[in-house]
Amino acid sequence: MSIPELVVQNWSRLLAGLAMTVELTIISLIIAGMLGLLFGLLSVSKKKSLRAIALVYVDIVRGTPLLVQAFFIYFGIPAALGIRLDANTAGIITLSLNAGGYLAEIFRGGIESISKGQMEAARSLGLPYSLAMTKVILPQAVRTMTPALINQCIITLKDTSILSIIGIQELTQTGRLIIANNYQAFEMWTIVAVMYFVIIMILTKISKRIERKMSYGKSEN
Amino acid sequence: MGKVKIKNLKKSFGELEVLKDINLEVCEREVICIIGPSGSGKSTLLRCINALEVATSGTVEVDGNDITGAADKDINKYRQNIGMVFQQFNLFPHMTVLENISFAPVTLKLKSKQEANEKALKLLRRVDLEEKANVYPEQLSGGQQQRVAIARALAMDPDVMLFDEPTSALDPEMVGEVLNVMKKLAKEGMTMIVVTHEMGFAREVADRVIFIDEGFIVEEGPPQELFGAPKNERTINFLNMVL
Repeated sequence: MSIPELVVQNWSRLLAGLAMTVELTIISLIIAGMLGLLFGLLSVSKKKSLRAIALVYVDIVRGTPLLVQAFFIYFGIPAALGIRLDANTAGIITLSLNAGGYLAEIFRGGIESISKGQMEAARSLGLPYSLAMTKVILPQAVRTMTPALINQCIITLKDTSILSIIGIQELTQTGRLIIANNYQAFEMWTIVAVMYFVIIMILTKISKRIERKMSYGKSEN
Repeated sequence: MGKVKIKNLKKSFGELEVLKDINLEVCEREVICIIGPSGSGKSTLLRCINALEVATSGTVEVDGNDITGAADKDINKYRQNIGMVFQQFNLFPHMTVLENISFAPVTLKLKSKQEANEKALKLLRRVDLEEKANVYPEQLSGGQQQRVAIARALAMDPDVMLFDEPTSALDPEMVGEVLNVMKKLAKEGMTMIVVTHEMGFAREVADRVIFIDEGFIVEEGPPQELFGAPKNERTINFLNMVL
């Protein structure tokens, strides 16, 4: 069968796989965003113990492969605790923790890129640290972080394909299952690759637009 | 009655002792200019007054409130009464000029948004920048930014204003407009502590000039005395270099 014929024949399955990929990405990124903000804030804290917690988390995430993290959470933890974890849950936990670690570093970098004078000016007006952080520092930090945030979104979307290994039926796994029936590896992987490519291009276009909207022109002060 | 009372203030950064033993009392409506070579500790002294730097020992009182021993929550309260103007302006770049000024009173729920905006416009008129209310700081010159920064500090109705080398980052032609605003403020009776290299301003506006070197107050007195007939050798040397 030709590629167009394969697309028509497998359209609904491919679309379901893509939907699963997008769903995993979105849910994981929402959780990862909260983790990243939390641990990013810890990593710029004045308290050494809080910084240490953030450091350990980030180091573990960065120091181990995503595949090992997925196996550890899907097979390792249930074995140790005697519980059952379905693949989707394990996948979301893995991706959230993984992206959360990288996002924590992005948040830390963003916060640290804002000049110290901003925090001092806010504090000198009588604002408590929390308000100075949320109203003055973070809005500026997020602006500088935007390209890195979008980059992480794209990485996480692609990382979902690794979760096919624990049996989640996202786009990559769907492709493999179809090939198991029709043996048309070249055509099917082409279709899958193009689908990833298109969705990431759409994301990139949207993000470029957001980036442009957000640049109000920064002063260095 | 002293507005600001500093007793035996010491501040070290690690091994380096920046302030060795500072005693200073500033009265209500008094304008103090602090001068001295760079690295002498003048900015650190100023920053100890609103606890941007935590004193190593000694006490700082503002309006009878103990700044050095206060809990975080109280510090936030006390700082509302102590305005500060920075060398680098430190305006919030993501807010318009008007938002910069009304931001703190609104965020701290001291004023409604409308009240704060009205007050901000009044302050902008005072610093002669009313027409810039809705632009962003980056569209302003350095001198204009610093005047907005002064208005922002005044929006909290502070009892004391601290100025940390407010004209040092400005192009020469913009120094005058900022100093004029400060002069007006001094005339209106604001209690001011100004770290500055502008000897002309100190001579004209200060009630008292403090010369700091190597962490000590070396000499202090009315400007005509300190500039006209300095007694200490280090003061004489410093003034010879800058005047």
